[in-house]
Amino acid sequence: MTTIIRITLKGIFRDRVFQGIMVTACAFLLIPVIASLSMRQVTELSLTLSLSLISFILLLLAVFLGGTSLWKDIERRYTFSVLGLPLSRQSYMIGRFGGTALFVLLAAAVLGVAAFAVVSYSSAIYPTDRPIVWSTMAICILFDALKYILLIAVAFLFSTVSTSFFLPVFGTIATFLAGGVTQQVFEFVNSPASKALSPLVKKLATILYYLLPNFGAFDLKVNAIYSLPLPFEGLLLTAAYFVVYVGLLLSAAATIFSRREMR
Amino acid sequence: MIRTVSTGIVSLLLYGILILPFTTYLKNKPFVEKLGYVPSVAALKSVAADHKELVAATLVLKVLMYFGGLVEKADNQVAVPPDYMSMSRLLHGAVKLDPYNMDAYYFAQGFLTWDVKQFKMANDLLDYGMKYRTWDWYLPFFAGFNSAYFLHDYKKAADYYKLAGELSGADLHKSLAGRYLQESGQTDLAITYLSTMAKIERNPALKKTYLIRLNAFKEVRRIEIARDRYRENHGKMPATVEEVVQGGLLTPVPRDPYGGTFYLEADGKVATTSKFAFSGVKGNSSIKSGEPNERH
Repeated sequence: MTTIIRITLKGIFRDRVFQGIMVTACAFLLIPVIASLSMRQVTELSLTLSLSLISFILLLLAVFLGGTSLWKDIERRYTFSVLGLPLSRQSYMIGRFGGTALFVLLAAAVLGVAAFAVVSYSSAIYPTDRPIVWSTMAICILFDALKYILLIAVAFLFSTVSTSFFLPVFGTIATFLAGGVTQQVFEFVNSPASKALSPLVKKLATILYYLLPNFGAFDLKVNAIYSLPLPFEGLLLTAAYFVVYVGLLLSAAATIFSRREMR
Repeated sequence: MIRTVSTGIVSLLLYGILILPFTTYLKNKPFVEKLGYVPSVAALKSVAADHKELVAATLVLKVLMYFGGLVEKADNQVAVPPDYMSMSRLLHGAVKLDPYNMDAYYFAQGFLTWDVKQFKMANDLLDYGMKYRTWDWYLPFFAGFNSAYFLHDYKKAADYYKLAGELSGADLHKSLAGRYLQESGQTDLAITYLSTMAKIERNPALKKTYLIRLNAFKEVRRIEIARDRYRENHGKMPATVEEVVQGGLLTPVPRDPYGGTFYLEADGKVATTSKFAFSGVKGNSSIKSGEPNERH
């Protein structure tokens, strides 16, 4: 399996994805200029922009690497030669997932360093009222990466049932958008403001809330931007949620993939 | 090859012809359109996904750019009344997305009070912000000023200033609470507030508006001091500012940076025909009709 992880990583680098990230990351250079437009929170704005840029790049990676990885292998008929080797389909798929996830972590680390440089530059020019808590920023980026790894697992699950890349790519984007609002919808449904809603809709919303991944918990941007204390217990729960949910998705994907007919 | 090149040249020519009217059209688009329509905050929240802070910051920057453009126009003697209600709507939307965004509170305080006279709305917004930005002394400082200066609620103002004093650790706000919280200290209160605002302001357009207003109030203070001296000397209130000037108590002659003329109200209060706004100068007739001065 480690071989598959290594091959996946190598493949991603060979496709010049990393160079692509670096070109997109040039936008970091603009951040101090845009942030200086703020009246009272230049550092906070440069943090906002940096974290959003990282999040956006990681989203693209998760959707496109996650959504096309398996499809490409099947399309190019790599799977036939690879699966001819003494290797189970499950470990092949998990290896592919591991390689992609590792790449996202790596990209997050590199982009995190760039964000660190940008924010320290901004805060050196316009000192902030609130001290920046670097550890909070690092944890925020880490949880962002975890969120997108979870999304990759979703993309893999879609890939196992699909013969084209449309379902994985668009399905993953839809899941991402839905997963970001489930908490909000759930709170609305359980508030007095939702009296007018029919019980069926409420039930449906509740089912979706438990079924879909909850990405809201992984969003720690506000803590990082305004140096708010992190909820330690909440982070532990979120990390555990990540492990369990990814485990569930991968086992489902592995089961489907091992039974899939490949021609 | 020749065909490709000629197609390229024709396209470039077309672009050249088109780009001028296109940019002129965008430049002259009405401001309301430029500020744009903001969909409901709930919808924005859903679309923003994990970029709520970014969307909030974008809304604030949009308002700021819009306002900056108007200040520039006012400099060139083109007075365009800003669309304050749209500005307020955008900023309210911004703090719903990111309740910690200081720029939004700060900017809203800048125009909701003096320009729009929505003091209660300003203080409600500040109260909302105080729930989140629990470390920030600016918010209670603003709310304290609004309560004392505009709403004349001195008890509430004292509470806000006390909180600002505790948070900032500076004695300034504690002393503000005591010294200025009475009717007679209004001008001093405004001068202190405006000096603080102008000092901390980084945005040139806003800093300018604060400095102009500060200068106007400094002139008012000068007239007030001269007026009181006149009363001491003559035993009666002067009827006009000119009387004070002729008495040699007021040199140089006070000048309203908004282009208006200072005058004394019946009770001796200093007022100006500009009402402390560039667009107010044309309303000279309002004095005749007895419309109250709009310092408060």
